[in-house]
Amino acid sequence: MQVKIDHLTKKFDDVVAVSDFTMQFDDGKLVALLGPSGCGKSTMLNMLSGILPVSEGKIYFDEDDVTNMPPQDRGVGLVFQNYALYPHMTVLENIAFPLEIKKVDKKEREEKAKEMAKLVHVDQLLDRKPKELSGGQQQRVAIARALIKKPRLLLLDEPLSNLDARLRLEMREEIRRIQLETGVTTIFVTHDQEEAMSISDKIVLMKDGYLQQEDGPQELYDDPANLFVANFLGNPPINNLTGYIKDGYFVLEDDSGRIKVNNENAKENQQVVLGIRAESALIGTKEDHDLEAIFDQQYTMGKEELAFLKIGNQQIRIYLSSDYKFQKGDIVYLKFRSKGVYLFDKESGVRI
Amino acid sequence: MAKDWIKKFFIYLFLTIGAVVMMFPFYWMISSSVKTAAEYNSFPPVWIPKNWLDFSNFVKAFQAAPFATYFLNSIIVTGSSVLLTGFITILGAFGFSRLKFPGKTILFSFLVAFMMVPFEMLVITNYQTVSKLNWIDTHYVLVIPFMTSIFYTYILKNFFDTIPDSLYYSARIDGASNWKYLWRVMVPIAKPSLVTIMLLNAISSWNSFMWPQLVINSDRFRTVPFGLFAFMSDAGSDTQLQLAAATVSVLPMIVLFLFARKYIVSGVARGGVKG
Amino acid sequence: MEEKKKKKRREDSGYIFNRKYEPLIYLLPFAIGLLIFTIYPIINVVIMSFKNGYRLSGSYNGIGIENYTYVLTNKYFLSAIKNTFIYVFTVVPIATILSILIANLLNQKIKGISFFHTAYFLPMVTSAIAVGISWRYMFNKKFGVINWLLGLIGIGPIDFLGATAGVAPYNMLTVIIFGIWNMMPFTIILLLSGLQNIDPMYYTAAKVDGASSSTIFRRITVPLLAPTIFLTVVVNMISAFKVYNDVIPFWAGKAGALGTNLYTMVYWIKETFYSKLRLGQAAAASIVLFIIILFFTMIQKYIQKKTDY
Repeated sequence: MQVKIDHLTKKFDDVVAVSDFTMQFDDGKLVALLGPSGCGKSTMLNMLSGILPVSEGKIYFDEDDVTNMPPQDRGVGLVFQNYALYPHMTVLENIAFPLEIKKVDKKEREEKAKEMAKLVHVDQLLDRKPKELSGGQQQRVAIARALIKKPRLLLLDEPLSNLDARLRLEMREEIRRIQLETGVTTIFVTHDQEEAMSISDKIVLMKDGYLQQEDGPQELYDDPANLFVANFLGNPPINNLTGYIKDGYFVLEDDSGRIKVNNENAKENQQVVLGIRAESALIGTKEDHDLEAIFDQQYTMGKEELAFLKIGNQQIRIYLSSDYKFQKGDIVYLKFRSKGVYLFDKESGVRI
Repeated sequence: MAKDWIKKFFIYLFLTIGAVVMMFPFYWMISSSVKTAAEYNSFPPVWIPKNWLDFSNFVKAFQAAPFATYFLNSIIVTGSSVLLTGFITILGAFGFSRLKFPGKTILFSFLVAFMMVPFEMLVITNYQTVSKLNWIDTHYVLVIPFMTSIFYTYILKNFFDTIPDSLYYSARIDGASNWKYLWRVMVPIAKPSLVTIMLLNAISSWNSFMWPQLVINSDRFRTVPFGLFAFMSDAGSDTQLQLAAATVSVLPMIVLFLFARKYIVSGVARGGVKG
Repeated sequence: MEEKKKKKRREDSGYIFNRKYEPLIYLLPFAIGLLIFTIYPIINVVIMSFKNGYRLSGSYNGIGIENYTYVLTNKYFLSAIKNTFIYVFTVVPIATILSILIANLLNQKIKGISFFHTAYFLPMVTSAIAVGISWRYMFNKKFGVINWLLGLIGIGPIDFLGATAGVAPYNMLTVIIFGIWNMMPFTIILLLSGLQNIDPMYYTAAKVDGASSSTIFRRITVPLLAPTIFLTVVVNMISAFKVYNDVIPFWAGKAGALGTNLYTMVYWIKETFYSKLRLGQAAAASIVLFIIILFFTMIQKYIQKKTDY
């Protein structure tokens, strides 16, 4: 099912939680609503499920206007951050509960519940109570319960945030697998960019109730619309060097170095931020380099090392192959790739 | 090591002395209930009656006064009070905890303030009310005036408040009505709280004395404590018969207590109101 | 700000799920009972108390404070107030002190604790009228086990229940002893739960610092238990001011051996309205009782607020 939202806005008294969103979520896709806490992503999800009334704008499921439709009539499945499993019911009863409400007869609903349990791999745990399950298992049960009534839209609120790091990896792949297997249009909310990047077809990045950018994960990473998007995506976070434009060069704010920029939109003397992804900074030579940096320290991160360098009074993180052996204070010549290097207006954050 | 042993010894010693004092009236009641008139009237007192299995006092007591009727009345009244008050409390607590309506918070704090008004102050008007309703000498009069309990509603509402909103939304999105959600999800989850409330209610209903004394005149509707009182004030009855009747009358509550001590104690600890 | 927003959000969403009249249906039975048996009586008792000489028949002679001047000058009501205060200010402190000691013993990790719990808590669920019969026998002057025990140490026999030459000096003592026994289980439960709510971390920390057990009791247990003790005292005082049942078993429902010497406030109110049908005066007396209780409730609220850690 395709979801369209049209100038969707939510106000709590004077606070605007979601401001004027217009977009569509395509059929059968997994979309992440991403953003820092308080950005309005959960509000958006709750408006889609119908828990929250809409202030302005419209929501369409395919051609149906569901803006004022009560939640139970929308055909959505919702998985809460805390899973919201009924503690007094077994796994089987939990999964079958939506059908119990629909007065499906016991045999049939148990059969369907078992099918669902199989899909999410909890068919060994049917007689357990929620408190006897691990977080990941509870999550699976919650998803099965949301899916059993064949919803047109599956909504997941921070599905992984209550899990430990190892389970999180496992569950996010599971969510992807289940979504692909069932083909249900899915929207999930997360504040974790890695989560969003790794499994979604599309990311909607929000901040303070405003849409920042929506696109595929790679597109978002490669082509950020503004400094916030660039900063929010990627680990380690993108390096920001502040400076200004002079004679077609980016000049560091303390005048300790400059780089030629080929960007006709950059105005003379414009205050800018140069964003450089850690993987886009390579080690050059004395003869061929963009900036000189001073080696500070490094951390081992498995196969790579992350090095901290100083450029003038600013700092930059780059990946460093372990072939290089620098000492604190050594001069490092940096060469930047053209990909992963962006220029932003300092004040507005807009990409130049 | 030695110090520990001495400490333990004294703990046991004091606890035992205290326990004996607390339990003694019960022992005295039970043991004296099988005493013969001679044993009863002997001094120094008879500690251990000769014939423990002599239930003649019980038989005589039940012949002298309609204790079977009193018991039946108490069971009817306590049972219906527990059910009716429980039902109304569940609905009320759900209304205050889960449903939204304007002025709810203010209304509820008013109710909590009413909790400090003692029943003794309401008793005069309530007596007039039930007289006007012609409820004197009925079972309702012992049940209906207590159908609304702010205190129990308050306890249950507080428990309901701890059930996460997400369960509610989840159930509602799945199509459950408020009614269905209440009985299928909230009530089962709140079972410990509910059991506690019902037990406290049963205890206070069973032991209720002053109100029955006011509104029951006929022997046919007397409950156990009031029936016992009437039997006791009756000049012709022997104390050992009274003790036999008293023993039987406290038995249900003792059994209840032995089986549900944890619930009762936790309820009392939380609410701080004596039954 | 964030907090407020969250709250607002929750409020906001609730309305979607209930139809306008729905809360009303759930609260209706509750409201009916409340209106008829709590709110109306509260209003009515105040009105009644100002209807001079209001009687069951509904007759009264004018509006005024005559009922109050009557009760506050009535010899028996004044003696009821006095008796009630004596009862409250002996039973509550003694029961509290004994309960603190026992609660501390019950809070130790020892075997058989659940037997002791049962022994100490049981009187809470049994009717004062029923067990009172046993106490009456125990207090008996001639055959009573208490007088036998006192006789062993050369005291007595004491005439707990009777009166000689128009005085009954020991009647009050009888009710007080019975009252203490009745009050203890409840008090122990509250104090024990207060003790169990003290985080064991404090004890561990103090032990690590090398504090002796008496220091721990004095410097940690007592201060941390203080709010519970205050609370218990006030709750018990409120219930003790309403003393009625404790008097009933000993004199076949009469107020003492002389029939009038052990009036309590509730007893007097009950008799005035029920036997004498003087509703206005009973109402005024119950307002007096309420004001006393209110005063102690306010103290309780104040203490609770101040000691809320």
